[in-house]
Amino acid sequence: MANSETEQAKYLDAAKEVVKREAFNMQRALDKGQLMDGLRHATEMLNELRTSILMPKSYYELYMMVTMELTHLNMYMSGEFIKENKIADLYELVQHAGNIVPRLYLLITVGVVYIKSQECSRKDILQDLVEMCRGVQHPLRGLFLRNFLLTSTRDVLPDIDDNIVDSGTIDDSIDFILLNFSEMNKLWVRMQHQGHSRDRTKREQERLELKILVGTNLERLSRLEGVTVSKYQNHVLPAILKQLINCKDSIAQEYLMDCIIQVFPDEFHLKTLDTFLDTCCQPQGTVNVRNIIISIIGRLSNYAQADPSNIPEDIELFQIFSGKVTQIIQSRTEMPPEDILALQSALIKLALNVYPSETGYVDKVLENTCNIFNEERSRAKGCSAELSRMLRVPIDHYGDILTIIQLEHFTQLFGFLEYKSRKELCVYLAENVIQTETHIDSHDQVDLFLTMISCLVTDQADQSAEPEDPEDFEIEQSLVGRLVHQLTSGIPDQQFLILNTCKKHLLTGGDKRIQYTLPSLIFRAIQLCRVYHDLAAEDEKWEKKVTKILMYINSLLSTLVKAEYWDLALRLFLQAALVCDMVGIQSAETAGYEFVSQAFAIYEEEVSDSKAQLIAISLIVATFERTINFSEENHEPLRSQCLRASSKLLKKPDQCRAVSLCAHLYWSGKNREMAG
Amino acid sequence: SIIDCRLKAVVSTQSTGYYDRGNHYEFVKLDKDLARPGELTESCSFPFEFLKVVKQYESYAGRNCRLRYFLRVAVSRRLVDIVHERELMVHQLSSYPETNSSLKMEVGIEDCLHIEFEYNRSKYHLNDVIVGKIYFILVRIKIKHMELSIIKRETTGSGPNTYNENEQISRYEIMDGAPVRGESIPIRLFLSAYDLTPTMKDVNKKFSVRYYLNLVLVDEEDRRYFKQQEITLWRKSPTSLKPENRGVVALENHT
Repeated sequence: MANSETEQAKYLDAAKEVVKREAFNMQRALDKGQLMDGLRHATEMLNELRTSILMPKSYYELYMMVTMELTHLNMYMSGEFIKENKIADLYELVQHAGNIVPRLYLLITVGVVYIKSQECSRKDILQDLVEMCRGVQHPLRGLFLRNFLLTSTRDVLPDIDDNIVDSGTIDDSIDFILLNFSEMNKLWVRMQHQGHSRDRTKREQERLELKILVGTNLERLSRLEGVTVSKYQNHVLPAILKQLINCKDSIAQEYLMDCIIQVFPDEFHLKTLDTFLDTCCQPQGTVNVRNIIISIIGRLSNYAQADPSNIPEDIELFQIFSGKVTQIIQSRTEMPPEDILALQSALIKLALNVYPSETGYVDKVLENTCNIFNEERSRAKGCSAELSRMLRVPIDHYGDILTIIQLEHFTQLFGFLEYKSRKELCVYLAENVIQTETHIDSHDQVDLFLTMISCLVTDQADQSAEPEDPEDFEIEQSLVGRLVHQLTSGIPDQQFLILNTCKKHLLTGGDKRIQYTLPSLIFRAIQLCRVYHDLAAEDEKWEKKVTKILMYINSLLSTLVKAEYWDLALRLFLQAALVCDMVGIQSAETAGYEFVSQAFAIYEEEVSDSKAQLIAISLIVATFERTINFSEENHEPLRSQCLRASSKLLKKPDQCRAVSLCAHLYWSGKNREMAG
Repeated sequence: SIIDCRLKAVVSTQSTGYYDRGNHYEFVKLDKDLARPGELTESCSFPFEFLKVVKQYESYAGRNCRLRYFLRVAVSRRLVDIVHERELMVHQLSSYPETNSSLKMEVGIEDCLHIEFEYNRSKYHLNDVIVGKIYFILVRIKIKHMELSIIKRETTGSGPNTYNENEQISRYEIMDGAPVRGESIPIRLFLSAYDLTPTMKDVNKKFSVRYYLNLVLVDEEDRRYFKQQEITLWRKSPTSLKPENRGVVALENHT
């Protein structure tokens, strides 16, 4: 066989020259009414289709050219012979041709005219044509010949709504096409085993080029009006599936199963779903069932979404698919994780699109996935990208994290992701919460949520030992900090529980995290105090609660101090002191005093830079100045402490500034006794 | 001058075998004198008839022998006769044979190729159709194509001088490409397309004409595997012939 492209082109051109010449001669003979000469030239032309040299693409080109010319012959015969009623003789005459390929092309051409003349039973002619084609056993030539048979008989097959009353029913048409289909599939599969094993890839490529020839049979079947749901279920589909299973060829099975899904209407698929999916489950090893299943799930999803009433009540789409997918995954132990997850994603999409109210369905899919991976850990290797993708599907769809939290098995699947993917997903979740401004308002949910994003909150066992990029880390942790503000409830008691839960989680973050995360928490606690203070009239226990909050704040601040975040702690102590002052109860005052003292302690022990000292002392003084509820007992020592610290500043100008600030404490500094 | 007029109707055979060139064997010879010796001065016509001529055999013109029926008119004169011949064609018509079984057989080469062929009849008339199929039981060779040929064997002479002449009348491709086990290939061969004669066995003990179907399979290396099977051809009376003219229905001499 001529392999190079130029050689192919050369042979093809030579063949086309002959065809052109003979076609011209044929037409000329027919114009003169000389049928025998016309047939002779037609035979010469058709002899070019006997070639073994051309590859499929080139052969196709030649075939198209030849069959186009044959239409002239068809038209001539339709005109002349139907008038003279000699068509039966012509049908015999063309069978005298010595070579089988030209003979059969001519026979089909005459056969179609014969059918149209209605001199003979349609069924008999069609059956004769499809049987005689058996003589061409060469795969390439046979495929094109039978394709010619199929396309030529396009308009003459008996169907329900034609008015021709004779022996020829829809069942005959179905049988005709099914026979042609199985013979074509046999030839197509045969190509796989021809030739050398080293040429296998090339052969498979050629086969794929020819697949549409086989698929056209199915398409033609689908166009028959008389193929109703029940005929499809009882006659058509079983025959097709039988051929698919018996041929034991994965290329054929993959392509044709997908073809079935595409050409037949959705209601047919609904009716035959069980049979179809069972065939998919047949253990055929190399067939990539994944795309087929995803294709049909997608189609039926769309069908259901277009009009929910399309799906009859007794067909539980989700259950059926879920069950089958599990069966398939379990029976194919070599299925790679990408495929498993692609199937599960398809199920999730089905659940989200068609059964939006059933979050349980989505959870079921997640649960199954967990089970699969748990049973066989090795199946989950290398699946992080696909798993992340799959997990994002419900996040994007639901849009709000609260529903996600309800999915019990969502977090479990995190365990199968690699560290990096896990972290990315957590960031994704956190961003989602912040962008949608969702409030997570119960401490249980908060607990679940923080567990979910534990990757951000705390160090992970599988984290790499290398230090992370500090910028990235900061961005990430700031995110968590912002997140804290979304963990909030309008009910103060609930809010307190939330704050406790947060503390529990965030403290596990270690020193490097708390500088970003605790401040938010402290501010929220401060906020809560204000809230309780405002609601004093409604809640008799408010003082106790506020006290508890202040202790809480204190513990957080001590943690910061221990971690040596002096500057931060100082400021926060002062901030807390302000709220203590505002609250105005005894315990708060004590706490406030404590806070300011702590601030001083930090100032005296840790702030060493003179500039920083000035700033710090100014801050302390300013804050203290704002307070109004300290008793003189407490106010006085703090006042003096301020003054002392101010005068001890290094630079004289600084001292002046600071001391003059302290002056405010003395003349406008308020305390309880002075009442404002 | 004296002109003798004689009309002869002579029927004769000529067998021209390789070892037997130019031999003529007459098997029918009938004479009639048309005119007494005398002078022929103007055009005149002489009626004649030969009654109940037995025409036992069919006319045949083959490679090595011919069987002819002809009328010869000879005007014998003193020096040179004027002779004129006109050939007559005789066809032997038969009716449908009483027994006509199909030909079915399984043939093959061990571990290589096993097929079963079937032809619907063993006796075919000249406008008949050979209908049958080839079923592949075992295929271990790479077949390129399969064809069905009609072979005509003309046997002349006898004994040590017997000569067989084989002629391939037709070559009809019935399969293109390589089949697998279990395939069944249909055969439909129209005999009217070819120039054939009925089977003739030992005509006048001088020659035979027999026909064979030759099934040939050709593999990728152009090796040929074949199976020959004799068939009997006979001539059916044409339906256009009026019943009274349907001649003598010949004896069933084709068994």
